[in-house]
Amino acid sequence: MTGLLVLREQLKKICGKYEVYLVPIGKFFTALFTFIIINLNLGYMEKVAKFPLAIILALLCSFLPLNFIIFVAAALVLAHVYALSLECTLIVGILFLLMFLLYFRFSPGDTFVVLLTPICCALRIPYVIPLSMGLVGKPTSALSVGCGVGVYYILHYIKGCSSALTTLDADGMASKFKYVIDGLLANKAMFVMMAAFAATIIVVYCVRRMNIDHSWTIAIIVGALTDILILFVGDLMFTTNISLIGTILGSIFAVAFVKGLQFFVFNVDYARTERVQFEDDEYYYYVKAVPKVTISEPKKKVKKVASVKNRPAAEREQTVQKRTSSAVKTEAEKRVSKTGAAEKTSQARKINYTDPLD
Amino acid sequence: MISEQRVKLMTRLAAYESGEGKKNASIGSYFRGDYISLQLMKSIVSATIAFVLVAVLFVMYDSEAFMQGLYEIDLMEYAKQILFYYIGFVGLYSLISYVIYSFRYRKAKRRLKVYFNNLRRLQVLYQRERKDKTQ
Repeated sequence: MTGLLVLREQLKKICGKYEVYLVPIGKFFTALFTFIIINLNLGYMEKVAKFPLAIILALLCSFLPLNFIIFVAAALVLAHVYALSLECTLIVGILFLLMFLLYFRFSPGDTFVVLLTPICCALRIPYVIPLSMGLVGKPTSALSVGCGVGVYYILHYIKGCSSALTTLDADGMASKFKYVIDGLLANKAMFVMMAAFAATIIVVYCVRRMNIDHSWTIAIIVGALTDILILFVGDLMFTTNISLIGTILGSIFAVAFVKGLQFFVFNVDYARTERVQFEDDEYYYYVKAVPKVTISEPKKKVKKVASVKNRPAAEREQTVQKRTSSAVKTEAEKRVSKTGAAEKTSQARKINYTDPLD
Repeated sequence: MISEQRVKLMTRLAAYESGEGKKNASIGSYFRGDYISLQLMKSIVSATIAFVLVAVLFVMYDSEAFMQGLYEIDLMEYAKQILFYYIGFVGLYSLISYVIYSFRYRKAKRRLKVYFNNLRRLQVLYQRERKDKTQ
């Protein structure tokens, strides 16, 4: 545990020191990863799905604000969907616009969650998102995560019905619109997932803010159980075909992941909790102070070893004096240890310390 | 000589100015009514565009039935219905915007008050230092 705490302190120190470089690097890899996932899943437009282009776009994103990644990703998605069908592009474009117009006007900082949610869904670790956002976010994050889930399921649906859409070419535009919109509205798994994630975020947020010891751990567990329960009930009610075993395993992974997150974000020592009570003219204060678990990094002592010849004369003389005194000291100590008397040791040491001065 | 208290205060002020302070300063430059009405105007424009987009989706979804029914329905009644939905949607969205932006304005003003108090404290510290130097 101590080793981990030291590692955390070192990581914090490194992050603080190299923040200027680490932030653009982080943005670059996030953007690159996002673009690769989009290209792999919806690579309908071959001109855009090239790796060098993804690198160039990611490089561009690394020097621009974080929200720019979302706009580039949205443009990339629209380009791919356009290669598949114009109708899908219109639907996806309108849905993206609705999200930006109605919700992200209020919380532009949350747009990153909309990007992370589909990525985690594509990586088959979607349950990490509601637990993490409940711990580090606000209840309004439920809306952002809901939008992210919506984006994932829309793209997943379009990917799934791409072959059907090409066969519908002859029937005209109207039938395609109807087909896609019907498919999206009939996707009960999407709505159940949205409801489960929103409820999980709110539950985790409420529990972690409660005045109880280990509130974060309890919040994680209660949140995971809420998620599983809602998905299970949703599956029973609407036959969403969400795998229960997959949900349980995913939730276990999410709990482990979020416990790691807790270690870095909120690591406190409940054993040293202090409760104090005081008052002023207007209020009584009941204060509970929980100390953070911190550890000071062990300092490395570097002993310089240099040859006596290379040093200046005065320093050389001092070193020689020190060495002779220490040699005398060790010789005396050896002698005393042979006798085995503790009292004599202290006396001998006293004598030895005086020796070099004489 | 470097005053530790002054450096702490200046660091806090600089951190605020570079982060949240920019946004709060722009909010604080308005009167409450001006700020909220400006944001409400923006919200109404956004809601109108969103409503039009949803209407477009709705028409596109069943365009054939819509075109056929267009000659049979009472257009005035239909327009009234659309207007009713539009007012309901924009009204609800504006109400939510009003609540959010009122809260945001109040919060920004509170933070700015703390910021100006800190600035005043810094000024006092400077004056005290100057006095000490002259003595």
